[in-house]
Amino acid sequence: MSPPRKQKVDTRVVVETPEGADFQFVIAGAGTRAVAWGIDQLIQWAALVVLFMLSLFLIPFGEAGVGVGFGGFLIGRFLLDWFYFSLFEAYWDGQTPGKRSQGLRVVRSNGTPIDVSSAIGRNFLRAADMLPFFYTVGMISMLMTRRLQRLGDLFFDTMVIDERREWISRAGGLTANIEALARSECPRRFSVPERTLAVIERLFESDRIISDARREEIARPLSDALRSRFGYAEPPPDPRNPHPHFRSRGFRQTLFLLRVLKTFADNPAGTKNGTNDRVNKRSRAAAESPPPRGRMNPAAVATSDLADLLNGDLSENRRARRES
Amino acid sequence: MLVTRLRGSRQRTWASRDVAELSRLYRSICYDLSLVQSREWGARLEQYLNDLVAQGHNALYRSAPKSMAAIWEFFTHEFPRVFRRRIGAFSLALALFLIPFLVSTYVGWQRPDVAELIAGKESLEAARQNFGQDLYTKMDASYAGQRSTMAGFYVYNNTTIAFQAYALGAFIGLGTCFVLLSNGISIGMVAGYILSAGSPATDNFFSFVISHGAFELTAIVIAGGGGFVLAQGILFPGKRTRMDSLRFNGIESLKLALGAGAMLAIAAMLEGYFSPLPIAAGIKYAVGSCLWLLVIAYLSFAGQGGTADEG
Repeated sequence: MSPPRKQKVDTRVVVETPEGADFQFVIAGAGTRAVAWGIDQLIQWAALVVLFMLSLFLIPFGEAGVGVGFGGFLIGRFLLDWFYFSLFEAYWDGQTPGKRSQGLRVVRSNGTPIDVSSAIGRNFLRAADMLPFFYTVGMISMLMTRRLQRLGDLFFDTMVIDERREWISRAGGLTANIEALARSECPRRFSVPERTLAVIERLFESDRIISDARREEIARPLSDALRSRFGYAEPPPDPRNPHPHFRSRGFRQTLFLLRVLKTFADNPAGTKNGTNDRVNKRSRAAAESPPPRGRMNPAAVATSDLADLLNGDLSENRRARRES
Repeated sequence: MLVTRLRGSRQRTWASRDVAELSRLYRSICYDLSLVQSREWGARLEQYLNDLVAQGHNALYRSAPKSMAAIWEFFTHEFPRVFRRRIGAFSLALALFLIPFLVSTYVGWQRPDVAELIAGKESLEAARQNFGQDLYTKMDASYAGQRSTMAGFYVYNNTTIAFQAYALGAFIGLGTCFVLLSNGISIGMVAGYILSAGSPATDNFFSFVISHGAFELTAIVIAGGGGFVLAQGILFPGKRTRMDSLRFNGIESLKLALGAGAMLAIAAMLEGYFSPLPIAAGIKYAVGSCLWLLVIAYLSFAGQGGTADEG
């Protein structure tokens, strides 16, 4: 048995695969789920209206036609009531139209896709969750469970996850007022290895207690290496308005690193496809054999120096934690 | 990426070579992810690998798809087996339905005035009027139309009642009790009231009810039993943890509810088209008795032997 883990106060749930890797899901909140439900409700009403219109087409067939039409309408209403959600979730990989529009998905609480019986079961129990009005029972149950599960989720071992990819700026608010590097400023290469970005990120992590001056010092070797990699030359002070230049003079290096971060990390489009594969390969290669230092480019050397520095820092922290 | 390709296609059409390749890639990505996590190499890389692992995980560990054969297997073996395994919950539901039903039948029969007070004079009066005359004398377009509407209504109304009886079992069975009791009382009142009215209403009523009742009443009680299985999951987890018990009982009870739903669909068709047929009451009694025997035999004996997978 694993020791009880400290519970985090957020909506992430970690699932461990049989291969021993952990991965995270973000649990959907009540608000988003309510919106998705509202959309599904509208769709159901629209479907009922369509069904009713179709049954009107049977009027010309006399009394029998009207009867069959109305009977069919009632059966359709029954099917919508009890199977709309479950059939969509079962055969659309855990999504209804409303859930899809909100980026939600139902999965089993071990992270695997929902199966047909769980989908039917969790939606049957809507009848209990929606009592006495507007899913009061379901909300109470969600408040009391870590995975925000309503009764149907609890009995059928499911959870609703939020798959929307919100691009959180990696450096938090740090790069908010920073200008990105322009391609024209960098005549040589215009790319940064993922590991370097990670190092810059660590340097600016908010819980890292370093004074700004010390950070500037640490940043120096890396930023010099990056400058030469890009072939970037600092523009001379604008003669008409030299103040910003001199004001930021003491933080040249950190500012430059922030610009790098802004340029290469805050751009989801550039990382979505091609680059990731490269990154992936590189990290695997790095993991398997420690790279010979001499042949690496200067930026990477600076990176690994800095990484050692920071990681040494980190492992000390860890040791301290373990001892306490 | 192989995962994206495989996700689109049906499971059956995967080439074995691809599957082997997928599992190899998946393991290596899992390895990468743990490595990146343990060395803290940056949030974005971790996120990307995390997504890949999640996709691969979903592709590998999805549950086997259900097929028509599984549905057939469910009705021939699984449903009656679960029914017998959970006979206790069914008995409780049966008692909660049958006792108030018998009592209120007796009350309605002996004291129609009390029944009028409880169930409402108009509805009882309407029911008696309805059964006092021959429902239909000939089969024509109007018959077909009305009966189709009624069949649809029975599907909608009765199955909703049954599923609610089931789902409300999640409130430690109290909701199920309520649904069973109230239905037992109201049906009993009508039956008793019509008994007190005497022939021909009595004859019409019972010959009408007997055939579909075999499926309808049994199914409502089974769905109620499913509700009590849910409640049992909360109240009496036994050797399991309470969460495990919820899950186990959830699936078991769902099987009862679905089986009951199918029985109610049969009942609705019978009630819609067979029960009101303008034929001699004797035939209806004969058919109805056969159907009762059929239902009882099905629930008691179907699915014995063969591949037993009790769990």
